[in-house]
Amino acid sequence: MSITKDFIVEQLKEQIAGFKSEVKHETVGRVIEIGDGIARIEGISEVMMSEMLEFITAKGSIYGVALNLEEDRVGAIILGDYLGIKEGDEVKCLNKILEVPVGNSIIGRVVDPLGAPLDGKGEIQAEKFYPVEKIAPGVITRESVRQPVQTGIKAIDAIIPIGRGQRELIIGDRQIGKSAIAIDTIINQKGQNMKCIYVAIGQKESKVAGIVAKLEEAGAMEYTTVVLAGASDPASLLYVAPYAGCAMAEYFLDKGEDVLIVYDDLSKHAVAYREISLLLRRPPGREAYPGDVFYLHSRLLERACKLSKEFGGGSITALPIIETQSGDMSAYIPTNVISITDGQIYLMPELFYQGSRPAVDAGLSVSRVGSSAQIKAMKKVAGKMKLEAAQFRELAAFAQFGSDLDKDTKAKLERGKRLQEIFKQGQYSPVPVANQILVFFALINGLTDDVPVEKISEFEAGLYKYAANSGAKILKEIAEKKELSEKLEGEMKTLVMDYKTTLEYLIK
Amino acid sequence: MLSLRSSMTELNCSQWQITMKITAKKFALSLYESVEGKSPSQVKHAIEEFVKLLAEKNQLSASDKIVAEFIKIWNEKHGIVEAEVTSANGFSRDMIKLIKGHVTELSGAKEVLLSEKIDKNILGGVVIRYGDKIIDGSIKTQLEELKDRMVK
Repeated sequence: MSITKDFIVEQLKEQIAGFKSEVKHETVGRVIEIGDGIARIEGISEVMMSEMLEFITAKGSIYGVALNLEEDRVGAIILGDYLGIKEGDEVKCLNKILEVPVGNSIIGRVVDPLGAPLDGKGEIQAEKFYPVEKIAPGVITRESVRQPVQTGIKAIDAIIPIGRGQRELIIGDRQIGKSAIAIDTIINQKGQNMKCIYVAIGQKESKVAGIVAKLEEAGAMEYTTVVLAGASDPASLLYVAPYAGCAMAEYFLDKGEDVLIVYDDLSKHAVAYREISLLLRRPPGREAYPGDVFYLHSRLLERACKLSKEFGGGSITALPIIETQSGDMSAYIPTNVISITDGQIYLMPELFYQGSRPAVDAGLSVSRVGSSAQIKAMKKVAGKMKLEAAQFRELAAFAQFGSDLDKDTKAKLERGKRLQEIFKQGQYSPVPVANQILVFFALINGLTDDVPVEKISEFEAGLYKYAANSGAKILKEIAEKKELSEKLEGEMKTLVMDYKTTLEYLIK
Repeated sequence: MLSLRSSMTELNCSQWQITMKITAKKFALSLYESVEGKSPSQVKHAIEEFVKLLAEKNQLSASDKIVAEFIKIWNEKHGIVEAEVTSANGFSRDMIKLIKGHVTELSGAKEVLLSEKIDKNILGGVVIRYGDKIIDGSIKTQLEELKDRMVK
């Protein structure tokens, strides 16, 4: 016992001897007005834009960020509970821009926009701190987008391919599966060398809890971080959340890794920023959004990039989500974000209620990166699918009026019906790229023409199972070589034909 | 006198811009401009005129704010800095002189008005405040820092 006591005393002495307190020269101010998550502060004359501030209250320190530097006062947002702050409280400048902890230790965690844990798994040991706001990489450091992000969603991988470093908007009304696409994409990144960050902005916490549980179940939390600013959090946290998530992604980018980041959703982010701006008395513009709401999103999405080899070769792929009000794509925020991103996945309520889910509209959805973000094998089988899918919808509408159709049109319609059927896919069931190629191959080569339309999903599921058993070699070859040689195509054809001999429901 | 007239016309001009409110700072600034470098009798007259103007504009109630702003402007223009020194037990004359010199150096002011305050709570050391700056060299803060470090 005495040894430990001596040891402790010794340690204590050492610590105290090593302790050197510096007398700091600090800049302070006083709160002159407080309310609605906004504080107006007098003093702090040397404060920087978006510098962190410390409010010293009776209950301890609360942090804030200076956003408005006016002639003789400073407007600041408060990150957290502003009810503890009183008029006259002292405010200190911390001489640093708002930053968040980053590093490998945040993987698999649920954190708030300041990097504090929300999942009860203990403190986060941060390796580094990254500033929340950062200028996007310049032209010299970038490279064109080439590698694909396999979303595992057939309709998207075939006709709206997404590349690493791309920004692809997911847009649609409420409750038609926007988040589902993003979550499925995250689930499918297993083993694809991709870190994922899911930023929930103004989402219901019950919904986020459900998502986290689902990701855990699918084993996706091993490479995913969830940044949560819930619906009950103050607007300041909602505003900071996507930038904080992006800073966390940039840590992996700097290490040369690929990151996928989902912003769910940016319309709530814009609303939070509008709230802050109006409270700070910045003049309102269209739909009462402030003048810099375009810059708000453009500076965030520009940080998504594909770096060239000399700069590490990492990438950040961004999947922002925008919610429209009854399909109104021409509202202010949707048009802004559409013009910033490299394409959009448009989800249509009509399709959703008809039962073709995911309800991706082949006509309005585009990917400006295009087929350069597809592997060669996929390019070959999915080349004309977008056109066919879009044509089919028009043709189907036209064909409703008459039954006398020429043979060609009829064949096109039949093919289209099967295509539409193949694009249907359940939630949380991403399809590996080799399987996708196999089923598309069967479709475009007419091998599914004698399968009844209502049996297509059964056919597809059976084909995957059959291929896993007796065609594992072929699937492996597709996945590895990423190309279709003539020999391989022949093997695929025999595989599908063999499988079809086991079926009973074929049209004779 | 002329300058008071001119600044008063300025204030009158801003009257018809109904939305523009004349702030306490503006009143204080115009008062400063009209009394700067004047003889005592002129100053007295200027102040009379100024109060009349305030009454006319219904701003007599804002006089406290105007006075506070006026002191700020006056101090700024003359390079005067007000500083407050807090200690646990009070200081000797020499000490005060030393602190005064230090603050003068730090703030770059011509003159430092030092006020002393005694607060047993800081235990020892000194806390100097001037403008919106604070130099905290109190034993209390240092002990708290030590505590934080030990807890870590």
